[in-house]
Amino acid sequence: MKRWRIPLIAGLAVMMILLSGCSGGGGMRHESWPGLSIDDGTIYAANLESVQALDAKTGSVYWTFPPQPEKNVGPFYATPVLASDIGPHGTLLVAGMKDQKVYALQLADSPQDLPEVQWVFTEAAGQYVGSGVVAGDLFIIGNGDGHVYALDINDGHLIWSFGTGDRVWATPVVKGETVYVASLDHHLYALSLADGEEQWNTEMEGAIASTPVLAGNSLWVGDFANTLYQVNAASGAIEWQQTFDDWLWATPLVQGTTLYFADVGGKVYALDTTTHAFLWEKPADVGAMVRARMALDEQNHRLFVAGYETGKIYVVDTQTGARLDWGEVVDDPGELPADLVLSDNTLYVMPVISKTRIRAFDAHTGKVLWAYPPAESK
Amino acid sequence: MWDAIIVRPIINILLVLYKYLGHETIIAVTLVTVIIRLAITPLTLKQQKSVRKQQELKPKLDKLQAKYKDDKEKLAQAQMELYKTEGINPAGGCLPLLIQLPLMIGLYQGIIRSLAATPLQLLALSKDIYHWIPGLSSLIPLQSKFLWLDLALRDPYYVLPVLVFITAWIYQKMVTPPATDPQAEAMNKQMMIMMPLMTAFFALSYASGLAIYFLVSNLVGILQYLLFKEHYATSAVQKKS
Repeated sequence: MKRWRIPLIAGLAVMMILLSGCSGGGGMRHESWPGLSIDDGTIYAANLESVQALDAKTGSVYWTFPPQPEKNVGPFYATPVLASDIGPHGTLLVAGMKDQKVYALQLADSPQDLPEVQWVFTEAAGQYVGSGVVAGDLFIIGNGDGHVYALDINDGHLIWSFGTGDRVWATPVVKGETVYVASLDHHLYALSLADGEEQWNTEMEGAIASTPVLAGNSLWVGDFANTLYQVNAASGAIEWQQTFDDWLWATPLVQGTTLYFADVGGKVYALDTTTHAFLWEKPADVGAMVRARMALDEQNHRLFVAGYETGKIYVVDTQTGARLDWGEVVDDPGELPADLVLSDNTLYVMPVISKTRIRAFDAHTGKVLWAYPPAESK
Repeated sequence: MWDAIIVRPIINILLVLYKYLGHETIIAVTLVTVIIRLAITPLTLKQQKSVRKQQELKPKLDKLQAKYKDDKEKLAQAQMELYKTEGINPAGGCLPLLIQLPLMIGLYQGIIRSLAATPLQLLALSKDIYHWIPGLSSLIPLQSKFLWLDLALRDPYYVLPVLVFITAWIYQKMVTPPATDPQAEAMNKQMMIMMPLMTAFFALSYASGLAIYFLVSNLVGILQYLLFKEHYATSAVQKKS
């Protein structure tokens, strides 16, 4: 009996170590993609184990919350939202994915100082994937438990909640007194901002993970049935729809009467929102999966598209849809499922599966301005 | 290549079953497991037949070993002669296994991927769907609730891992041929515990949809044994009965 017990236990131990390594036990494995926002020269980044504030010009870190990684805090993927009117210097709202909490961080006098936790909302039962939105005194955010929560931004008290049939990964959109919520249950909902009462809901073919965008009186949203919809924001009626080759997950971009959108298969389109005519002869095919929201340069001449699995940024001429040369080859580009952010002629990307967490490019030349963490500290 | 030939077809078969069987993931997982297990039944039986023949030949092989214990070359020659006369291919048990294993691993991977729960898993799944089959992409994410289970998550009450362990142990006991020497007996004992423990560990660590696959797979294996007992080597269970 004893003779076979030792190899058995040793074999099992080795197997368990190998398997736990495979399943991500050896380090934090990405389950979603991080987001960043910029305000007044400061980047607020959901950076997996922490939320960080960085100088947008240099990438130097102002503060990290929590200062040391804590097992039961985060990970943070949802784009931080700044409520600049709340508190003496503004309040940053961040949400942890697995800890299922929303944190309100009251910013300090100096941007370099660590903010104080003002309140924590703990009543949701699922993971936070998408970001929230500030509307007056409310912070509204969707959760993996299928609910949308509207919190009093001053103290974190729940004002109302609304249940959908599946996870809410998209960021709610607010216009006037209405909140629009997209859910993986295939529905788009319009709720009263004041009390969360449902005004209408419209069923789509597929699950909706993409955040809708408003253009005039219409909402534009794509789903996993490869379909783009134009929905009347007042009534919920579908005014136009068209099916494409792959899922539509990247939030579309609106510029004037042009809607730019991409399917996950890598085809990018420019659509006139009034005539429903496509502006380019054929869609721009970047040859890589596209999940991230694209970005337009300040002159609206160039459209930046993130290739998910290639980790490359592709640039498309907004007039013709032709691909343009741009940028330099970077080491360890990782993968790019996270939304692109363009501010002050700088394009910010947050790769996953890479030692670099944030990379800033000159939007004009494509040169890397800085990367965080800097090369020597990786 | 692996994905295109093995995993993607399995994922899409699972999605088609899901679509036409009331959007019940558990039924789709069960059926796809049964279909693939049944499809490889001829290979399983061929492999078992080969094991049984080898077992029947054991006394003759032992005699040869005793006869040529000091001459390895002659022993090998005599063994080959014996295999030839008896019409047995000594590697006959390996080929069916080589075909079965990739299918079983592909099935395992297909189920795991179909049960994508996180944003990055779902994004990866989008590549695996045949968009040319109408209505498949709109099925994602799959409805994963069944009784107390969320098939995309671990079983919180450990019911499935326990069931997987019990059925894997019974199956292992049925198909393990009795040992002819103490060393083989020790090995059998190891396997009898190791294999069920390993599958139970998988069932414990991964999505409960995968545990359903192990459970169904074990049950099909047990049923196959009961129906085609004569193809299997005499196991400890048969010996007792």
